[in-house]
Amino acid sequence: MSRRVLAGAAGALALATAVVLSGCGAGGGAPAAGDDSITVLVEAGGHGELQPIADQFEKDTGTSVTFVELPYDGLYNRLNSEFSSGSLSFDVAALDSIWLPTFAEALTPLDDMMTDEVQSDLFPALVTEAQVDDSFVGMPAWTNSEILYYRTDLFEDPAQQQKFKAEYGYDLVPPTTWEQYADVAKFFTQDTDSDGQVDVYGTDVKGAVETEWLATLSQTGEKDMVVGDDGTVSLGDADSLAALDFYTSLLPYAPSGAAQLDWAGSQNLFNQGQLAMMRFWAHAYKQIPADSAVTGKVGVTTMVGGPGGVAGVPGAWYLSVPAGTSKQEKALEFVQYAYDHNELSVDTDLGLASRISVLEKYQDEPGYENYKPLVDTLNATATIPRPANPNWQEIVDSALIPMIQKAVVPGADNQQLLDDAKAQVESITE
Amino acid sequence: MNGLETTRTSSRAILWVALVLLVVLYGFPFLYMLFTSFKTPLETIAVPPTVLPSSWTIENYASAIGRDGVVASFVNSVVTAVLSTAISLVLALPAAYAVTRFRTRFGRFFIVGALVMRMVPPIVIGVPMIGIFRSLGISDTSFALAIAHATISLPLSIWLMSSFFEAVPEELEEAAKIDGASRLGALWRVVLPVTAGGIAVTAIFAFLASWNEFLFALLLTATRSQTTPIVIANFQTQFGLDWGAMTALAVLYSVPVILLALVLQRHIVAGLTAGAVKG
Repeated sequence: MSRRVLAGAAGALALATAVVLSGCGAGGGAPAAGDDSITVLVEAGGHGELQPIADQFEKDTGTSVTFVELPYDGLYNRLNSEFSSGSLSFDVAALDSIWLPTFAEALTPLDDMMTDEVQSDLFPALVTEAQVDDSFVGMPAWTNSEILYYRTDLFEDPAQQQKFKAEYGYDLVPPTTWEQYADVAKFFTQDTDSDGQVDVYGTDVKGAVETEWLATLSQTGEKDMVVGDDGTVSLGDADSLAALDFYTSLLPYAPSGAAQLDWAGSQNLFNQGQLAMMRFWAHAYKQIPADSAVTGKVGVTTMVGGPGGVAGVPGAWYLSVPAGTSKQEKALEFVQYAYDHNELSVDTDLGLASRISVLEKYQDEPGYENYKPLVDTLNATATIPRPANPNWQEIVDSALIPMIQKAVVPGADNQQLLDDAKAQVESITE
Repeated sequence: MNGLETTRTSSRAILWVALVLLVVLYGFPFLYMLFTSFKTPLETIAVPPTVLPSSWTIENYASAIGRDGVVASFVNSVVTAVLSTAISLVLALPAAYAVTRFRTRFGRFFIVGALVMRMVPPIVIGVPMIGIFRSLGISDTSFALAIAHATISLPLSIWLMSSFFEAVPEELEEAAKIDGASRLGALWRVVLPVTAGGIAVTAIFAFLASWNEFLFALLLTATRSQTTPIVIANFQTQFGLDWGAMTALAVLYSVPVILLALVLQRHIVAGLTAGAVKG
C-alpha cells in the first residue's frame, strides 16, 4: 500500500470516527435531556449549591437533573440568545436577581408557588425582587449580602485596644457606623514593622464593582436605588453625594489601585492579611484558604450603618422556568423541591441558603458565624433590592462602574461625576 | 574592522536585540500563565504579583483535570476542530480552484462575498443557528458546532487556497491534459500535490480557528458537546476567579496546538510564502 493511500485511509478513518463520535455526542458527560430528566442552566460558581438538591430530587422523583454550567457573562449571553431565537435548550435557569426584569416576559409566573407562607420565610427584599410587573418569576435558590469582616487578632490585641481608646476616646470594637468605620480604618492603617511602609490598611475601596457603593447608598436612607419605579434617576441628590463622599473618604486608608479593585482582588488582600476590615459577601467566610495569613483570625458582623441605618445589597439567585419549555410540570416541580429542600445547600462551597428559617436554624452552629450577620443585614429596614429595570446591567456597565472608577481617583469632583452619571442613566432608560 | 563591517555588526546587534525583545514580549504572557499554574492558590492572587512561584505545586493541574467534564471537553474540542477543518477543506478547495481558474464575474463576486462574510460579527450568525440546529435535530453536537466553526474558517480558507492555486502555472495542468488527464484528474494529480504546503497551512488555520473559538461554543453547546474554552471560562464566577486551575487548564489546552505548530512550522512558513511571488 502506498504512503499516499495509507495517509488517505487514515484521514478517512479519522473523519469517520469524528463524525460517529460527534453524532453521538462524544464528549458528553451527561445524557441528553429525555423524558425523565430536566436541564438546568446555571452559572459555574453557583452550580454547587444546587447539586445536592438535584441528587436528592432524582432519588425521590426519578427525574434526573442535567446541569449546563456557563461563565457568568456567558450565561447572560446564552439566555439572551436563546430567548431571542425562541429555541430553548433548558427547562430551568438559575438567574441573577438583576436579570429577572430583563427576561421576565419569557418566564413562567410562579405566583401559585409564592404562597403567603413562602413569602414570610423569605427576606422582604427578595420577595420584592422576585416580582416583576405583579408576577413572581423567580424562586430564590440562595441569597447573599455584604457583611463586615474584621481581623480578630488586631481587634482583640490589648495594646491596640489601649492605643485606640487613647486616640479616639471609645472602645475598639467592630464598627457599626460610618464614623466608627472611618476611625477604625484610619487607626489600623499602620506600618507594623517600622520600615516606613504601610503593611496593614484599615479597609479596601473597590472601584471596579458597583454593589459596594450601592450598599453605601442604601445606608444613607435612599429609598430609590439609582432609578425609581417611576423612572426618576436619583443620582446627584444629597444622599448619593453623601454615599460617594463617604466611599471615597476611605481612600487614604486603603491600598492603592482602588480603580481596578474588584471582589476577587479585595478578597485576596484580606486573605493575605493586608486589610484590617473588609465589607464583603457573606459566602467568603467559608472560602478563607487554610494557608491564608488570616485563617482562624476572622470575625464577622452586621454590615455598617450610615444615617439611614444598616444596609446591604441582596445578592440572590433565583430559579426560573422559561415559558417555552415543554417540561413545564417537571421544571416547576424541581423549583418547588429546591425551595422545600433549601437546607441541602448549606454544606456546599458557597454555603448559602435563601430561606430565613434555614439560615436561622444554623446561625448559632460553629462554622456558620456568617449567617447571623447575613440575616440581620438582609432584615435591616434600609436594605433594599436593586431596581427592577430591564436596562440595569447596561446602567451598571456604562454609568455606575465608570463613575465609581473616576471617583476613586484623588481630586475627583463627586457631584459632577454623579450629575454626568445621572444624564447617562437617563439616556439609557429613556 | 572597516566602516562597512562595523555598520553591519551594529545592524545585526540591533536586529538581535529587537528579536529577543519581541520573543520576550510575545512569550511573557504564556510564561506568566505557565508559572501561575504552578503557584499555590494564595500566591496566584498575591498583591503585588510574583512572577515565579515561591513554592511549586501541581495542585492546580490535579484540580483542573479532576473537574467534571474536562476530559470530555478535550475530546469534544478535538472532534469539533477535526470536523470543522475537514468541512472547510472539502468546501474551500473546489471553490477556490473554480474561482482561480474560471475567472468569471460571479467568481469575483463570490470571492469578495467570502471576504465580506468574514467581517460579519459571529453573534449575528450564532443566534439563528440555535434555532436552525434545533429544528434539524443536531443541536448540542460536535457536528453542529463544527458547521458553525466552518462559517468562520471557510472564507479564510477560500482566500488562502485561491492565492495558492494562483501560484500554480496553468501550463502544468495543460501538460497533464495533453498527457490525457481530465481537468479533475489534473487537479488531483498535479495541482493538489503542488499546493500540499498551502493545503496544510489552510488546514492549520481552520483547525486553530475552531480550537480557540468561544462564542459559538457558548451559544450552541450544552452537556454533550461543550468544548474546553467554555470549561476554562467556567473558572471565572460572579464572586471570583480560580486563577490556578484556570491557568493549568489553559496550559494543557495550549500544548496540542504548540506541538502542532512546532511539527508543522516548516509547512506553515513555506505555505505562507508560497503565493507571495508568482513564478
